[in-house]
Formats: sequence, structure tokens, C-alpha cells
Amino acid sequence: MAFLTAEHISKTFPGVRALDDVSVEFEKGSIHALMGENGAGKSTLGKIIAGVYLPDKGIIKIDGQEVKPTDPRIAQQLGIALVHQELAFCPNMTVAENLLLGGFPTNGGFMDWAKLKERARALLGEIGADIEVDVPLAELTTGQEQMVQIAGAVGVNARIIIFDEPTSSLSTNESEHLFELMARLKERGVSMLYVSHRMDEIFRICDTITVLRDGKHVATEPMAKTSRDRLIRQMVGREVLLTRPKHLDLEPGEEVLRVENLSSTGKFENVSFNVRRGEIVGMGGLVGAGRTEVATAIFGLDNRATGNVFIKGKKMRLGNVNTAMRRRIGFLPEDRKRSGLVLGMNISDNISLAHIDTFSRFGFVDQKREATEVEKLTKRLRVKAPSLESITAGLSGGNQQKVALAKWMVRACDLLIVDEPTRGVDVGAKAEIYQLLDEVACQGVAILMISSELPELLNLARRIVVLREGFVTGELSHEQFTQEAVLQLMA
Amino acid sequence: MPSPTRNEKPENRNVHAQLSLSGEVTYSIIDNRRAVRRDNFAIQSNTPNPMSSPGKISFNLSKFPEGGLILVIIALGLLLAIFGGSVQLPKFQTTPDGKRERVFETNAAGQKVPAFETVNKFFNARTIVQIAKDTSFFAIMAVGVTPAIVTGGTDLSIGSMYALASVCGALVLSPYGPSGGGIATVLGVLVTVGVGTLLGFLNGAVITAFNVHPFIITLGTMAVYRGIAFVQTGGQSIGGFPAAFRQFVRWEILPDLSLVPLIVMILVTIIGGIFLSQTAVGRKIYAVGGSEIAARNSGIRVGRMKLLAYVISGLATGIAAVLSLGYYGAGSSGDGQGYELNAIAAAVVGGVSLVGGKGTALGAFLGAVILQMISNGMVILNIPQNYSQIVIGVVVIAAVVLDQLNTWAAKRRLLARTSSIKKEVVRSGDTPVSLKPKTT
Repeated sequence: MAFLTAEHISKTFPGVRALDDVSVEFEKGSIHALMGENGAGKSTLGKIIAGVYLPDKGIIKIDGQEVKPTDPRIAQQLGIALVHQELAFCPNMTVAENLLLGGFPTNGGFMDWAKLKERARALLGEIGADIEVDVPLAELTTGQEQMVQIAGAVGVNARIIIFDEPTSSLSTNESEHLFELMARLKERGVSMLYVSHRMDEIFRICDTITVLRDGKHVATEPMAKTSRDRLIRQMVGREVLLTRPKHLDLEPGEEVLRVENLSSTGKFENVSFNVRRGEIVGMGGLVGAGRTEVATAIFGLDNRATGNVFIKGKKMRLGNVNTAMRRRIGFLPEDRKRSGLVLGMNISDNISLAHIDTFSRFGFVDQKREATEVEKLTKRLRVKAPSLESITAGLSGGNQQKVALAKWMVRACDLLIVDEPTRGVDVGAKAEIYQLLDEVACQGVAILMISSELPELLNLARRIVVLREGFVTGELSHEQFTQEAVLQLMA
Repeated sequence: MPSPTRNEKPENRNVHAQLSLSGEVTYSIIDNRRAVRRDNFAIQSNTPNPMSSPGKISFNLSKFPEGGLILVIIALGLLLAIFGGSVQLPKFQTTPDGKRERVFETNAAGQKVPAFETVNKFFNARTIVQIAKDTSFFAIMAVGVTPAIVTGGTDLSIGSMYALASVCGALVLSPYGPSGGGIATVLGVLVTVGVGTLLGFLNGAVITAFNVHPFIITLGTMAVYRGIAFVQTGGQSIGGFPAAFRQFVRWEILPDLSLVPLIVMILVTIIGGIFLSQTAVGRKIYAVGGSEIAARNSGIRVGRMKLLAYVISGLATGIAAVLSLGYYGAGSSGDGQGYELNAIAAAVVGGVSLVGGKGTALGAFLGAVILQMISNGMVILNIPQNYSQIVIGVVVIAAVVLDQLNTWAAKRRLLARTSSIKKEVVRSGDTPVSLKPKTT
């Protein structure tokens, strides 16, 4: 008997169809895995059930009764809790205060501190977590913080707990602890929804699995009936949207980037690799493996990075963006809305931003030249917008990404670092971005591409460098590419 | 979906001709489709492509946000002109040898009495210049503080900088006495403006060096600067400036019409406007306010831009201090109390967003004009002065609420337009991807 069902759920974000008529049933006292590539909609589904997002269409039922978790508080009252890194509570308050945030024990209007601590300890004890209740939440490790979240969820008698990539920033030890806890919760009849990328974990702890792809439901099966290969096929399943990129048929030129023993404490260690002219080198790894951190260090955004970075054979000083830009490095950040674009500015201003000085004479912007140049780029990149004066906040993900890319095409780069270039971008724009990267590579730019989407890496890159927990675990050449080989190195 | 016609191929040109013969409508649809495909900017058939003429000035209100402020000013002006009634002012005339004297006329009883003229209480040169003068001090400061607000900060110390710069200028000018000449004037102006700039630099340096929120730092320097001014003067007002200096500021184009503050205010607004909208540095300041991380990722030296913004704030304050010294002939540590809030309120009324990334110099200037018109308007309409604070407070809140509504409406319009573009593109078969499965 299904405990919670989601029926015909659809959700659209500007420019992206996140979920398209998805129906899933969750059993009582079982761990249900949700898998899919980035952008498949698995987190969105979790958040809709937990009341973070409202579905455009579809209903949610608990025990056959329709419920409407219109915000996280209501969801909590319904017994639905979400454990998610970004949803941590108030970092400056103590563990005890956070745990009982919804209803402080009081004594005639004054806080009853003794009771507060006592109750918090009881909640933590219930899940077997040994955490001091007097310390501010900010001082806990991510793993401990998660324990506090789970304790809070159990405390409000959550009957279904949604875990959104819980292990992505946990150490192995902490993960083990989490799995034990999940097993115990399962015995108590709590249902769990487990969103993750990691195959090993899912095969170990989950009972049922649902695979989503591009917002659509692909399959729901008992874990015992499926296999790694089958899952990968289901996840990737669609026709891969690429022809063979042209740059693979050209001989790469001289070395543009050489990284030697690049380290940054707590982020990555002894990373070495190189990228040559006209070559796309992929960088694979799980979330939290240190890929983005390596990229930002090369671009000069990490002033604690040590090691050597050579650009065209000459050593580059680290820790300064302007030095990196002078060496003709371009960087498309992972989070375009926060770090790639100034959303309140229009297309034209965003594209010219990084090279505004080259458009200026005596400090004044030559707006005619700027407009001509920007127009050329928007045509080449096929940016679709009402005009160049359109504010970038109103564009679809794909068009925003093109604008963010165009920024680095105003002046030719020697090295272009792209971090998740197709995240949150619809299928059509994805293919265009692939084509564009290929084209840029053919023109002799060295490209370092970070991506969590395996097919993207496998198809576009000449070589793939794989990172795991801050270390390079291997490098594969195009001939050696298989999903399995990369996954093996990743996890 | 037929492929777009291309003129370079002769057979296509035929198609084109046939189509144009077959009727106006078909022709224009095809043409439209070409426009969409060629530019990838979906534009309706009869709207001109806004990208084809980037230099052209458009009077679309959404593209000229200050238009609304100008309308408000005109409305306020009309209101005051109509309801302010008229007033009798003594009539003057200028004699051939350049002297001003009162005009006399003979009344019914045959006596010679001074003549009066009836003028509109608001709409007469003297009142308007008076308002302009009153506006100028804090309008200059409002324009000056705009870059700092655009970077996402604020400058609460401008009132105190104004006082300290005035006092320093007064201490330099006063010893020369009324007989002081040009050198004293130049020195006084330089010191006043220089002190303002230096104080702004100090604000900016502390803010960027310690990366503390500007609100805190300038709240602190607000007290410190005024304290220094008080210690310097012992609370005394310092006057007795060179006549040359006072004449320079009070220079009158017409009797009682001193235009220097007005002219300086307009110059500051124009220069500030050009700086923010036309220069690369101005663009970078907007970027810093819009998204500091994105600005840094674009190689913009964020700290330097912020420092510059506070220097500009100090500079403008120094300029305002010069005008006030010359106009009132004295400087004291109590000068400019509360000016920071007036200036910031003016900027906000003028559409400068306290969150950063948005706002113009012209907007800040017009905001200052509106606030001053309301304040003086209360007097003209014989409303007790005590109400003016209430009204101004309400106006500031109303301006921000209106701005929110406007932003919301713009977003709605944009969404509607985006979806229409999508449809258009899909209809014209413009999904450019030819997708083939990977062959391995």
C-alpha cells in the first residue's frame, strides 16, 4: 500500500521544463532512490513534495488523501521533512535553539533554558547522535549539521524524510553514520526519499528506485531487479545530442595550460594536468570533488592556492583575476546567475563588461563600437532576446548562458574554462553550446570543461581528467572513454 | 517550413519576385520570417529593429525612467502655480546708469506711492531661483552620493563632511578678512573641496581595507567628522570671508537672482550623469553594485571602484560646502545637520536603488528638486511648516513603493514578451539544431 503518492506532477521554470507529468508512489518504511542526470528533475520533485516549490499541475496524496504542502511548514505538519544542506537553520543560534525553533519551551514568557537543552538532547539521543547542544550551529561539521536536521525532522514526527544529495559533502565516516541512522529510521516505519548521484550508496541502502530523465519519469523498479548498466542506460537513455565534434579530427597545438602540483588546503591537492591549443579537456568528478575549486584557482580567485600554473610555458602568479585575464584566460562560472552575469544589467553591458576598457577611449565608452561588436557576438551565438537592451534577468537559462559565454569571446582567449556550461539549459540550447565550444576549440582556443554530465564529457572532450575528493584519480583519452571507466574513477 | 529566401542565389530571387507579386501580405510575412531568422531577434513586422539604430534616442518611458520624475515636477509646479495664488511684490526698475530704484505711481488721490506688481506666488523668477538655491546644496550631495549607493553601499557621513569641510575652508578664508582677494578665494575653494575629497577617501579606504559594511563605517565617521569640526571651532561660527569669495558665489545675474549655486548644481549633475553612464569606470560601478562576484569574475577591481565612489561622495560634499560658505558667509560645526538623510532620500526618490546596481545622477537631482519643491510648496500653500516632515516622509515611502510596482510591471511585460518570442521562434522553425545520435 503506497504511503505517499505524487500524481501527474508538472513544473516549469523560466526556460526549462523541470518536471513533466511525473507520477511516483512511495512505500511505507522503505528507502526510495531518485536518480537522474543533472537537470533531470529529481531535486525539483523532492522539493515539491517538501513544499519548497509549488507544482504547476498534479497532486500529492498521503494515505490516499490529497494534501497540499504549499510551504515547508505545512509540509512539516503533514509529516514531510527535507534534509538539505542549503536549508540549514540559523547558523548563529545554538543546536538546541535550532532544534526547537518552532516552539521554544517557555516559563511565563521567558525562555526555559534547562528544558530547552533537555529536549534537544532527547531529540539527538533518539537518533543516536552525540552532539553538544550548546554550541552554535555554525561550529558544527556539515555531517553534524545534517544530524541536527534529521533529529529535527524526527522530532516533529516526520513520516517521510527527503534526503537531497546528503552525502555530497560528508566524509566516508559521516556517510556510514548516516546510513546506519537511515536503517534505524526505516525500522521505525519512516519512509525516505533519497536523491543522489552515487550508485554504490543507492545499491547499498535503497529498496526501490525511480529514474527521471529530462523531467520525465523513466522507470520505477525494485532495487534488486536493476543493475548499474541498466540504470545508466535509463538515465542517459535519450539519443545523445551530438555529432562527432570537429576538433577531435584536428591535431592539437602547443601546450597552453600546464598545472603542476596545484594544491589548496581543504579543497584539492597535487593536481596536475595540461591543456593544449585546440583541445577540449574535460574535468569529471562528483559534486564536491574539487573541480570548480581547481578552475577558480587557475582563474586567480583562490589566493591560498599553491603550486605552479604555466600559461604558454610562462609561470603565472596565482590569486589575481586580472593577472589571469591578462594571460588571456576566460572563465564561465558554474553559477551564472550569481557569478557569471550581472542580472540587473542588459545584454550589451554584460557582454562588454570584462573588456569594457578596450571599448573605451579616454575612459569614455565608445558605444557605437560596443554595439557593433556585441551585435556581432549575439548573432554568432544566436542569443534570442527582444533587444540588446533587454535585462539579462528576464532571459531563459540558455540565452543567459550564451551571454555569459559571449563575454569571453569579445577578445579571443588562449584558455577558456567553462564550469558546467549547460547546467539548467534546455536541450536545444545545449546542442548550440556544444557546437560553439567545438567551433571555438577549432579556432585554436584551449578549453577546460568541467561537467557533471557524463555524455557531455564523453562526447566533447579529447581527454578527461577525473577528480575524486580533491585528488586526480586518472586521465582518460578519447579512445578509452566509456561511462564505466569514468564512473570507476569518480566514485 | 520553406527555407528563407536569399538574394544571392538567382533562383531564390525568382521566388522572392513571385512572392512579392502574389500580394503584399505574403511578402511581408516572408520578410518578417527572414528578419527573425537572420537576426535571431524576434521582432514584430512593423516595429523597427531596436538594434539597428543603437544611437537613436527613444522617448519610450520605460527607457527614460526619469521621465516620470519630470512629470511629477511639472505636476507639482502646476499645483503650486494654481493653488498658490498671487502675491504683491514691490516693483523695481533699473535706471539708465545701472541703479535699481523703486517705481512710484500716482494714486487716485494724487499722492505718489510705491508701486506693486502682482505675481504668481510660485511661478515667478525670484521664488524659482530661491527653490533652486535651496535645492542646490543637497542636490549636489545627492548626485555625489549616488555612485556609493549604486555600489550597494551608502554614505551617512556627508552631512558631517559638509560641516568639517566648511569649517576647514572657513578657517583658511577668515584670516584674510573682507579685503582678501583672488588668491584667498582660490585657496579657500581648494581647501574646502580638498578636505571633502580627503574625508571621502578616508571613508572609502576604511570600507575597502576592512571590508566592513559602509553603513557602519560612515555612521562612525559621521560622528567623528562632526566632532573634529566642533573641536576645531569650539562650536563657534566662523565668518568674515574675503569679499571676492562671497561675490564669486553670490554673483547675481539679475538683481536678487544669484545663479551660481544653480549653475554648479546643473554642472555637477551633468558631469555625474556622464561619468556614470558614459565612462568605463561608471559602467564598472554599476556592475559592482549589480553583482560583486560577477564583477570580480570579470576582472573588475571591486575595491578600487568602491573607494572611488566614496571619494566622489566627498568631492561633491566639498563643492556643496564651498557654495554654502560663499552664500551664507560663515561656517560652523553645526552646518549640514541631517543633510545625509536629505541627500539619500533625494536619491531614493529619484530611483536610485539602495540594494545597488540601479540609479542615475539625473534621477538623484530630480529627486532633490521634488523634495525641495514639496518643502517650499508647503510654505507657498500656507500649510504649517510642521507638516512638511510628515509629507516628505510619505513621499519617500511612496517613491519606493511606486518603484517596486514599476519593477514588478516591467518584469510582467518582459515575461510576456519572452514567451511571445519563443512562440515566434518555434513557429518559424528556427530551432537550429540538427540532432543526430552519436555514432560509435
